[in-house]
Amino acid sequence: MKNQTETNTFDAIVVGSGISGGWAAKELTEGGLKTLVLERGRNVEHLTDYITALKEPWEFPNRMHLTSKEIEERPVQSSHCNAGDMHFYVKDSEHPYIQEKPFKWIRGYQVGGRSLTWGRQSYRLSDLDFEANKKDGYGIDWPIRYDDLKEWYDYVEEYVGISGSSESIPHLPDGVFLPPIPLNAIEKHLKDSVSKHYTDRCIINGRVANLTDYKEGRGKCMYRNLCSRGCPFSGYFSSNSSTLLDAYNSGNVTLRENSIVKEVVYDEETKKAIGVTIIDAISKDEITYYAKIIFLNASAIATASILLNSVSKSFPNGLGNSSLQVGHNLMDHVVNEGTYGTFDGLLDKYYEGRSPGTIYIPRFQNLDSKTSNPNFIRGYGIQGKGEREHWDSKPTKGFGATLKAQLQKPGKWIISLGGRGEVLPYYENKISLDHQNLDQWGLPLVKVHFEYGENELAMIEHMTKSSEEILIKAGFKNVGSYRNSPPPGSAVHEMGTARMGNDPKTSVLNKYNQMHDVKNVFITDGSCMTSSACQNPSLTYMALTARACKFAIEQFKSNQL
Amino acid sequence: MDRRKAIGGILAFTGISIASFTGYNFFYGTSNRGKLKNYKDLIAELVDVIIPPTDTPGAKEANVHDFIINFMESCSSNKEFNTFYNGLNDIQSTCLSDYNTVFQKCTNQQKIEVLKNLDTNQDSSSFFTKIDTKIRGRSFFNILKSLTIEGYCSSELGATELLSYVPVPGNYAAITAITPNQKAWATR
Repeated sequence: MKNQTETNTFDAIVVGSGISGGWAAKELTEGGLKTLVLERGRNVEHLTDYITALKEPWEFPNRMHLTSKEIEERPVQSSHCNAGDMHFYVKDSEHPYIQEKPFKWIRGYQVGGRSLTWGRQSYRLSDLDFEANKKDGYGIDWPIRYDDLKEWYDYVEEYVGISGSSESIPHLPDGVFLPPIPLNAIEKHLKDSVSKHYTDRCIINGRVANLTDYKEGRGKCMYRNLCSRGCPFSGYFSSNSSTLLDAYNSGNVTLRENSIVKEVVYDEETKKAIGVTIIDAISKDEITYYAKIIFLNASAIATASILLNSVSKSFPNGLGNSSLQVGHNLMDHVVNEGTYGTFDGLLDKYYEGRSPGTIYIPRFQNLDSKTSNPNFIRGYGIQGKGEREHWDSKPTKGFGATLKAQLQKPGKWIISLGGRGEVLPYYENKISLDHQNLDQWGLPLVKVHFEYGENELAMIEHMTKSSEEILIKAGFKNVGSYRNSPPPGSAVHEMGTARMGNDPKTSVLNKYNQMHDVKNVFITDGSCMTSSACQNPSLTYMALTARACKFAIEQFKSNQL
Repeated sequence: MDRRKAIGGILAFTGISIASFTGYNFFYGTSNRGKLKNYKDLIAELVDVIIPPTDTPGAKEANVHDFIINFMESCSSNKEFNTFYNGLNDIQSTCLSDYNTVFQKCTNQQKIEVLKNLDTNQDSSSFFTKIDTKIRGRSFFNILKSLTIEGYCSSELGATELLSYVPVPGNYAAITAITPNQKAWATR
């Protein structure tokens, strides 16, 4: 995936090769721009570098467990990875950051970034989300509405391949879908029960970026449910399987791995960014690359830290930070630990194949006056999965031949549900730089300060209670929940640190993800999000990226940048 | 088995984890871990009583003892390692005093007796077991049994002979009718 040129000058530079950086690379190169993609981690070649993808369970000496040493090197990441995919997560020991309050910063420093390991859940935002800040006064108004983004959702969905069902839910717009991954017997039972017992909520097939039909150059999902190891069939969407390959095929891309961006270089005379300075992760040499357009897609926390570290006479507080909002308004999604229950019936039903999908209960609170909740604003969705108990979850008695007989039979049906709720944009939730503590490349460590507010805590309470009620009404037994929420950051949906807005005094980016202060810098990763909604956000990052690229290419070609 | 673990596995697909499940008390000391290898034969006999050969292979043939030694050496907390190691010592002294020989040389009936006496928690999901586990950690028998189940069901012999394993399903039939001799899937 390399066609390095001798020159240090390009039309465009994209910082980051994850889910949004991959899209920027594809769109800019296909638009004819010579583009340099900078990735701070190692290269991961599609297919050949998925080293565990075809391993059998017994080929792992400790099965899926991490060793104590591996956990010690990954105190943060270890809750999110296992022996099968840990090579796609950083070692925290090599990439430290400072948690002023507990906050999990889950990272994948490699070509493809976290698009290799993402949850693949893909939902559109609607005007319920885009208008929320304006209506209740938290944060600032989005500069766009659903109509601005609709065609771009269509465009990226068609390319990515989202399996899902059309449901005509106004606040969760339908999209361009491949056939949905069907519900199994218990999921169907729960769906029927919810539609019988409730008028305000329903269960739909989760919308996931797994191919239920062929796409050009990519195979169908084989239902192995081992996505996070990288797919040898290209059955799910990642930068590696899709956008970066197209960027490469355009002949216009240069990919440089092991390139840690130190700063964006600003020119006081032209009032533009003229390039970025990187530190080679291996040699530690500094090199500056030049371009007319710069896209920052390093992920919300890293992009903000690059801006804050890009200090100049015009921008003593960081590039494009005249609003002093850069790094602030950090959001994630608030998740509960999950609710579970067992079901005594349907024992004559089973399934074949391992679904990578889920069921989804779209948001049902605070949609209108009938569904308004006195304890919190905004809302949450619930994801879940049903399956039969197997050896790793089935209670057993005794040992010997009777134990074997118990293990050999599928157990009861179980379902687990987990809520994901909207987090409000609080100025106090922020990242900043600690210039006293430097990493091995001499760059300041990132400090994260993040706390839930009362709204988020009330939402956790409600999502747990309503999940339990949904299962009890459907006849589940042993219904219970884990009462503690995982630490913030656990949803791996950090966003909001360079938000979009109409007013340059209160926002960093305009409606085309272009910096108000520095017109040739675009930011289309999670940083740009003005509010978090409760939907999994990657699809929106992709749509915003494609839209911003079209604008940037037009501006470039008419010499406006 | 631990339902929390199962739920953790279920939720992992959406990128959410059960933080407290992997973030639990790890004590990293690994000194003396190598001594467990001396008990390899004993562990092999123990796992073969937990999961004996029947019409399908037993845990010894599936090399489950190798997995347990690997896990105990490099993945377990000091607390669990000590519980497990001391439990092995206790078994040998029990066998020597009751039967005048080591566990490996006991008769099948004697081996079963020894483990029956340790399997005091007949119902591992009972309230009292859960409380007891919370206070004192997993018992020796609990550790042995759950690692044997894990090691066996994810071994080649266990997954493909006792259970049903399909590496590349190719399709997803979401609702199927269960067959008379339906085996459970080995993976999910």
